[in-house]
Amino acid sequence: MEHLGVLVTLAFRNLRRQLRRTILTASAMVIGGGTLMFSLSLGDGTHEEWIDSGVRMGSGHVAIEHPRFRSGRKLEDRLPAAARDAVEAVLRSPAVAAQVTTASAKLTVTGMASSAAGARPARIMAVDPVAEAAFGTIDDQTVEGRYLEPDDRLAAYVGVTLAEALGLRLDSRLVLTAQDAQKEIAGQLVRVVGIYRSGVPEIDQSLIHMPLATAGEWLGSGEDVTNIGVLVADSAAVSGLVRTLRAELRDPIAEGEAAVIGWREAMPELAAAVAIDDFGNYLVYGILFVIIGFGIVNTVLMSVMHRHREFGVLQALGLTPGQTGAVVLFEGLSLTAVSAVIGIALGAFLTWYFFGDGLDFSGMMGEEMTFSGVVIDPVIIPLFRPSRFAQSITFILFIGTVASIYPAIRAARIDVTESMKFDR
Amino acid sequence: MTDPTTSAVRTEHVWKTFHQEAEEIHAVRDVTIEIARGEFTALAGPSGSGKTTLLNVIGGLTRPSRGQVWVAGRNLTEMSNPELARLRLGQVGFVFQAYNLLPVLTAMENAEFPMLLQGIDPDERAARVGELFKRIGLDGMEGRRPRKLSGGQQQRVAVVRSVASKPALVLADEPTANLDSAASDALLDVMRELNEDLGITFVFATHDTRVMERCRRLVRMVDGAIESDKVRS
Repeated sequence: MEHLGVLVTLAFRNLRRQLRRTILTASAMVIGGGTLMFSLSLGDGTHEEWIDSGVRMGSGHVAIEHPRFRSGRKLEDRLPAAARDAVEAVLRSPAVAAQVTTASAKLTVTGMASSAAGARPARIMAVDPVAEAAFGTIDDQTVEGRYLEPDDRLAAYVGVTLAEALGLRLDSRLVLTAQDAQKEIAGQLVRVVGIYRSGVPEIDQSLIHMPLATAGEWLGSGEDVTNIGVLVADSAAVSGLVRTLRAELRDPIAEGEAAVIGWREAMPELAAAVAIDDFGNYLVYGILFVIIGFGIVNTVLMSVMHRHREFGVLQALGLTPGQTGAVVLFEGLSLTAVSAVIGIALGAFLTWYFFGDGLDFSGMMGEEMTFSGVVIDPVIIPLFRPSRFAQSITFILFIGTVASIYPAIRAARIDVTESMKFDR
Repeated sequence: MTDPTTSAVRTEHVWKTFHQEAEEIHAVRDVTIEIARGEFTALAGPSGSGKTTLLNVIGGLTRPSRGQVWVAGRNLTEMSNPELARLRLGQVGFVFQAYNLLPVLTAMENAEFPMLLQGIDPDERAARVGELFKRIGLDGMEGRRPRKLSGGQQQRVAVVRSVASKPALVLADEPTANLDSAASDALLDVMRELNEDLGITFVFATHDTRVMERCRRLVRMVDGAIESDKVRS
């Protein structure tokens, strides 16, 4: 062990000997490590924002629905009341409830909305007003009137574009028409209690919220629902929850009656956008660290070239070629490790600093942007994930090791007698 | 000749040939020599006579092109590079013309470096180096880095480094070349004492007459070959 100690001492003292060069390389790595950590946190925060916006507008981090519902979106492909009860019981169980933030059962059908001014296709989402207010964000986007309340019966909450197209105002009446549980066309008169603006055109022009109980009576579906959306605190927990729910629901629900799907499966466009963004970020990190890696190679290799004689002496004194290489490897690794820790601490500090108010990019991208039904908030709040610490340190140490291997091989393979002729 | 495993050094028909463009340069030519344990021997000769190359071959720093070399009873030509390194660590001490102390280590750390690699106990290391430092006039200089020492002091640290681990053999290449006569004499006195007290075999490559005069055996080399080999009575 003492053996190892002297190699480490040599490595540290040699780094200190070329202090300016060491500081320059370490600074590059500190900045790189800080940038990596902060960018990862910023990327995670951005993606979490996209995902949160997408899943709240859509079917949740996890959706439990009839296996055929997603392909046909027909009322016949719904969860019977008994299955709904079973799902809700599992969601209330301690093991699952600890992972779940909130859940909302919904009955979604496609139909028509008609008023005196005309008719428009509509996506009618029947919800429990309290559960949906906690689940979605649309209740906060009211521009006129209010969101649905528990005592509402013949109430509708419509998008601003649809309201304009149908000439609707608060308290206006409109008729909703859709195929009912008996596959007959059925109509329901409702009154507008609120108008919202989500910022997503396809939602504002078609989505109508109405009370779940009213829809059950109108469509003859009773307490059945088409899907139950579940939200979790961190999207990283989704795959675990999907596995748990699949296992927990295997017994209470008959096979083929319900499917548990995560948001990636439910919203493939959003999953693709996150993957593409991640790929772009990783590419930039890769390029950044290749450049930093060359910096390390340069520092360590220059150090090896300037110390040929010393490496010759070390081997003459009895250090094996492998141990000589290890001295150089220690130098590269210790430089990398110290810089990585400082850099990552810097990145973590920046993440913490911007954690409260976030970074406001509205000057670059305007007030709001949308894609694939997702509203992108211009204020990005970095998300700190402890796993990113380990990933960043591992990545930087890997780069440091790779960058130090060539100089270490050069040092190990020196010709001892030639190196001691080397005069400096 | 005796059994090669009983002498400190033995070479048999050793050649060392370097290739420079199309030309072959024989730095060592057919050298057969035996150095008994405890000898104080000088390899003398002009520059280019092959004495440093022969010293490097004996120390396992370079391999002979032909022939066999035994050090402390072990055949160097059959050993791998790590085995040679371990042999040097355990059996051979080096003193170089240019001192070759490690600049990042103090005088004390430089002197105990081979013992540290051998895993010798810190107290034992400190005791051995401390005693040798006193004996060689380096007392109080333990914490100094090489650049804070004079040439003579650096060479004395190098001598302590070469002998503190109690090797069987010390190879000294022009150890007095950068020293004034007083420093050279002091250094040679110490080496002679260590040879007599500890029984360490010393082999010098030198063209310094003061070194030659103090050695019991003088081997003269010319053009890579041994020209004469005389033992003083």
